[in-house]
Amino acid sequence: MPESATLQREQRTDVYQNLGERFKETTRELCGIMFLFCSGNPPQLENRVRDFLQHESGMEFEVLKDSSTQTLAILMPGFTLDATHYQALLLKQHLQETMENVDPRITLTVFPGQVDPTPGVLKQMAESTRLSTSSDIHIFTKEEAVQEPGRILIVDNDDAIREFLTIRLKMQGYETLEALDGTSALELIEKWEPDLVLTELNLYGIDGLPFIHQIKQLPVENTPKIVVLTEQRVERTISQCFQNGVNDYVTKPFSPVELDARIHRCFH
Amino acid sequence: MLFYGMVAVYYVMIVNILYFTIMALSYRNISTIYRRTKYSSYNTLSGSELVPPVSLLVPAYNEELTIIENVYCLMTLNYPTYEVIVINDGSGDKTLPVLIKEFKLEKIQNPEIRGTIDTETVRGIYHNPDYPQLFIIDKENGGKADSLNAGINFSHYPLISSIDADSLLEKDALIRMARMYMENPEEMVAIGGDVRIANGCLIENGAVKKISLPRKIWPMFQSIEYLKAFLGGRIGWSHINGLIIVSGAFGLFRKDYVIAVGGYRGGYPGEDMNIIIKLHRYMLSHKLPYKVAFCPEAVCWTQAPDTYNIIANQRKRWGRGNLKNMIENRGMLFNPKYKIMGLITMPYNVLFETLNPYFRITGLLALIGYTLLDMTHWRILLTFILLNFLSGYLLGVAAIILEEIAFRRYKKISDLWKMLLFSALKFVGYHQLGVLWRVQGHIQYLRKNNSWGTMTRQSWKEESETA
Amino acid sequence: MFSHLIVAYIFIFICLGLIGLGIILLFLMKISQNKEQQLREMYEQKHHDYFVYIQTHLEDEKALRLPPGKLKPLERRVIQDKYMEWIEQFKGEYRAKMIQLCRDAGLVEEDLKALKSFRYGRRLGAAYRLGGMRAGEAVPALLQMLQKGKYNSLLIIIARSIAKSAQRPEDVIEMLRTLLSHGKPIHHLAADIMLETGLDTSGLLMKLLDDQDPALVKVGLVAMWGQAVPEVMPVLGRLVGSEEKDVRAEAVKLYLSSNPTLKDETIVQLMSDRNWEVRAAAAKALGPLHAAGSIPLLVKALQDANWKVRHSSAESLAALGEAGFEALCQAALSGAGIQREAALQRIELVMEKKQEHSAIEQMVAYNKKRLIHDRYFGVKQQPIKRMPGIAAVGGDYTA
Repeated sequence: MPESATLQREQRTDVYQNLGERFKETTRELCGIMFLFCSGNPPQLENRVRDFLQHESGMEFEVLKDSSTQTLAILMPGFTLDATHYQALLLKQHLQETMENVDPRITLTVFPGQVDPTPGVLKQMAESTRLSTSSDIHIFTKEEAVQEPGRILIVDNDDAIREFLTIRLKMQGYETLEALDGTSALELIEKWEPDLVLTELNLYGIDGLPFIHQIKQLPVENTPKIVVLTEQRVERTISQCFQNGVNDYVTKPFSPVELDARIHRCFH
Repeated sequence: MLFYGMVAVYYVMIVNILYFTIMALSYRNISTIYRRTKYSSYNTLSGSELVPPVSLLVPAYNEELTIIENVYCLMTLNYPTYEVIVINDGSGDKTLPVLIKEFKLEKIQNPEIRGTIDTETVRGIYHNPDYPQLFIIDKENGGKADSLNAGINFSHYPLISSIDADSLLEKDALIRMARMYMENPEEMVAIGGDVRIANGCLIENGAVKKISLPRKIWPMFQSIEYLKAFLGGRIGWSHINGLIIVSGAFGLFRKDYVIAVGGYRGGYPGEDMNIIIKLHRYMLSHKLPYKVAFCPEAVCWTQAPDTYNIIANQRKRWGRGNLKNMIENRGMLFNPKYKIMGLITMPYNVLFETLNPYFRITGLLALIGYTLLDMTHWRILLTFILLNFLSGYLLGVAAIILEEIAFRRYKKISDLWKMLLFSALKFVGYHQLGVLWRVQGHIQYLRKNNSWGTMTRQSWKEESETA
Repeated sequence: MFSHLIVAYIFIFICLGLIGLGIILLFLMKISQNKEQQLREMYEQKHHDYFVYIQTHLEDEKALRLPPGKLKPLERRVIQDKYMEWIEQFKGEYRAKMIQLCRDAGLVEEDLKALKSFRYGRRLGAAYRLGGMRAGEAVPALLQMLQKGKYNSLLIIIARSIAKSAQRPEDVIEMLRTLLSHGKPIHHLAADIMLETGLDTSGLLMKLLDDQDPALVKVGLVAMWGQAVPEVMPVLGRLVGSEEKDVRAEAVKLYLSSNPTLKDETIVQLMSDRNWEVRAAAAKALGPLHAAGSIPLLVKALQDANWKVRHSSAESLAALGEAGFEALCQAALSGAGIQREAALQRIELVMEKKQEHSAIEQMVAYNKKRLIHDRYFGVKQQPIKRMPGIAAVGGDYTA
C-alpha cells in the first residue's frame, strides 16, 4: 500500500518538523528530551507515562507519539541533562514495576546541548532508541551524530573500573571494547586493531612487562598506543614500562579528568 | 586381650579429645581470619614499594606438561616486587627445552651465585630480559631439597617462597601472606598457605576459573582430608605456635634463618617438615622470639594424584619422611627447652601420628579376636568401630563448618552434600588404606628403601577438559 | 568393664548429637548465604541504571541524587559498597562528590551509630566502612578503639580507617604512635598505612622526621621512598648523623639518592661507617656523583667484608670513566680473594654490554674501556676463567 506509506512518512516528518520548530522558538531555554520505546507496543503505555509524570509534582512536560516508530517523545522543559537522566531511570523503574514483561529502551539528551535539535537528529534519536540492543539508558552525544571516533581497548580485571571507563570514554565518543585478561586482550588487539590500549598492569594470563612487550610484537599495521592505569606504584616498574614504549602511566586512585587529558594527548 | 582392646578404645578417645582441642582453637581464631580477609583490601598493598620483595622457588623434575602454565600463573601474581626461579632438577624429559622455547631464554654468562649452601653442580642459568622477573636454574639431579637450596643460593630477595610445580597460586595468595609477615616482620620465620585440591576445577590462563569438587573418588577423598587437616588442624596449631609442618606446596620463609639452619635437608622425603622442625629448634635454642604461622586465606591449588598407585606411593613417602624426621629429632621429645614444640607438638606427632596405625590395628585385632572367642561381646567391637567413625566424622563436619564460616569456596548445596557424604565414606576403606600406607612407609624406611616412586602429572589443560 | 563401656557410649551419643547439630547448621548457613548472594545480585541489577547515572554525571556541577525508592537494609549495603568502591578508585573532586553522597544518604550516620554497638564484629565492620567513606567525624572514636585493642591484624584495619578519614595530621601521628607502641618493628606497614591518608604527605613527613620517637622517624624515612619532598632535605642532613643505627642508615640512603654534593670528609666518614648499609649506600652513590677523587676509597672498599659494599664499589668504579675502570682492572690483576672477585665480576659485566652501545659517544667510551681491558688482560675473549658456583665468598644474605 504505497499510499498509506507516504501518508505515514508525511505524518512522521511532521512530528519531528513540529518538534524542531518548537525548539527553534525556545533556543535559549533548557529542555530535556527523552525517547521511549517498548517492544510489542504495550497498550496504555502513553497513559501510564502521563500518569507517572503528572505524579511528579510541579513538573511541566509533554508527551508526543510517533506512530510509525512506536516511540514516545517526552519533553521536559527546564530539565538539565542529569535531571533528565534521573527522571528517565525513575520512569524505567516505574514501568518495570507496574507492568509485566516490559523492556523499555530510553535515549535522552538535552537542548541546547551537545547536539542541535534539527529534525534529522531527532529522528536519529528515535531510531536509535528503537534499534537499541542494550536495555541501558542511553545518552545521545554529538559524536554519535558525527562518527569519527578513536578505538580504545580497555583491559582490566575489575568490573567496576571497566564499566566506568567504558561509560566515560563512550560519552566522549570513543569506540570501546573490553577485555578481562591479558590473553584475550592480545587476541582482540590483533583482530580489532584499536588505536589505544588502556590497561591495568596486573592481569590474568599474561601481564606486566611481558604483556607490554607482546603488544609491541603483534603483527598489526599500527601498533596501538599504550596507557597504563594501575595500582602498581613501584618506581622501577614504572621506569621499565616507559623504557618498553608505554605512552603514559597513571596510578590508581586516579583523577578521571587527568586520565581524559592524557588519553586525549595520545590521540593528538 | 579385652584389656588391650579397652586401652585401644581409650587411646582413640584421647586422640580425639586432643583433635577436638586443636579444632576448638581453630574455632577461636576463625572469626578473626574471616574479618581480616573481609576487611582488608589488598590492592593498595599489592602495588606498594613498601612490601618486601620475594623470591619464588619452583623445583621442577619432569614437569614438561604443566610447567609453562605454572610459570605463567606465577608471573601474574598480585605482588609488587618478586622473581620466579624455576629449578630444573636434571629432568629426564623436556622440561628445560620447553621453558627455553616458550620464554626465548638465553644462558647467562658468568651468573652471580651468592649463596654458599652445597648443592649438585649448577649447569647454567637462563634468562630473557623481556621477562625480567623469570630465571631458570638448570642443575644436576639432586632431589627437591637440593633444588630449593640451589634456588636459595641464586635468589636475590630476603624472603623466599617454595612452590610445587604442580600447584597454582591464587592471584592474591602471596600478598595475603606478605600482609601477615609485615604485621610482625621480626618474629615471623615461616608462613604456610592453605593447600586445596584443583582436580575438578576449571582452569584457564593459569588460574582457577570455576571451583568445584573433584569428580573422581581419590581426589575427592583427598580434598576432604586436606580441608580437615588445614582448617581443622593447622589454624589451631598455629595459634599455639606448634606447627610442625608448612606444606611444601606453598610456604613463605625468611631467607636468613633458612640459611642459618643450613638450608633444606636432602636425600629424604619430608624436607618441608624437616625445615620447620629445624627452624623451631634453632630459634628456641638461641632464645629468639619467633612465630611459625599458618595463613589460611592464602590459597594454593594443587593437582592431587588420581590413581591408586600414585597416591599410595605419595603416602608411603610421607610415612617414611615423618618417621625419619621423628627419629632424627628425638632429642626434642619431652625436652622442656623446646617448650610447646618439645612438650606438645613432637610427642603428639610421635604418639598420635607416627604410631597411630599400630595402636589402631592392634586394638582392632585384639577386639576381633576377643569377639571371635566369645560372640556375646560383639557390642564392644561395635562400640570401638562406632567410636572411631563418629568422632572422625564429627571432626570432618566441624572442618566443613569452618570452611563455611570463613572461606565459602564451594557455593552449591550439592557440593555440601557431597562433602558430607565423602566425609563419612572416608572411614570405609580410604581411612584404612591410609593406615596401611603409613605402615608400608615405615617398613620402607627400615629396609632403607629410599626410592621416590612414580609421580606422573597430567597437563592442566586435560584437567579442565575432563572437568 | 561395664563402666568403661558407659564412657564410650556417652562419647558416642555426644558425637551423634553434635554431628546432627553441625549438619543442620551447615545447611542453614549455606542456604542463607546463597540467598543473600542472590539478593545482592538482584539489587545490583535493579540499580544498574542508577549506577550508570552516577558515573555519567560525576562531572556535573550539581549534586548527585540519592537512589530512588525505599531501600531495604541489604539494598543500602549494596549501594554503599558501590559508593565505597568509587571513592577508592577516584581522586580529587570525584572522590569528594562520592563522599558527600554517602553523607547525604545517611550512610555515615548509620555506621557512626554502629560504631557504638556491643558486638565487636559490628563495630569493626562500621570502622572499616567509615574509613571507606572518609568520615572525619569518626576519627576520635576510631582512635579510642585503636588504643583499647590488642595488637593483631584487626587493629591494622582500624588504623587504615583512621589514616583514610583523618582530617588533621595530629590524628595520623597519634594513630602511628599507638600502632608502634606495641613494640613490633612494623615500620614498613605503618608507612604504607600512613600513605593512605588524604592529607598533604610532605607536611606529615616533616612532622614525623622531627618527632622525638625514633620509631616514628623511621616510619617517616621509610615512607619517603618514592616521594620527592625537597623540603625535608635539611632534616635528612641532620638525621644522617643520628645515633640510632637504623635511622642513620635509612637517612643516608635517602640523602644520597637525591644526588647531593658531598664534601670529601663526609665521603671518608660515610665510607668508614660501622653500619654496612651506610657504606654500601655511600659506595653506590659515588659513581653517579662522578666523584673521581674517591677512586682510592672505592678500591679499598672492594675488600670490604660485606658483599653489597664490594658490589656497589665495583659498580661505581666502572661508572667513573676510564680512570675508574683502570683502577678496577688493576684491582682485578693485582688484588686477591674477594677484592679480585668483585672487580672481575664487574669487568665481565662491562665487557658484555658491548651490543647495547648504540650512541657514538657511548661507543667511544666503551672502546676506550676495551683498550684498557686488553692492556691488562690481553685480547683473549675470556680473560680469566672464574669458577662458576664459587663466585660467592662471605656470608651476607640480607639483600
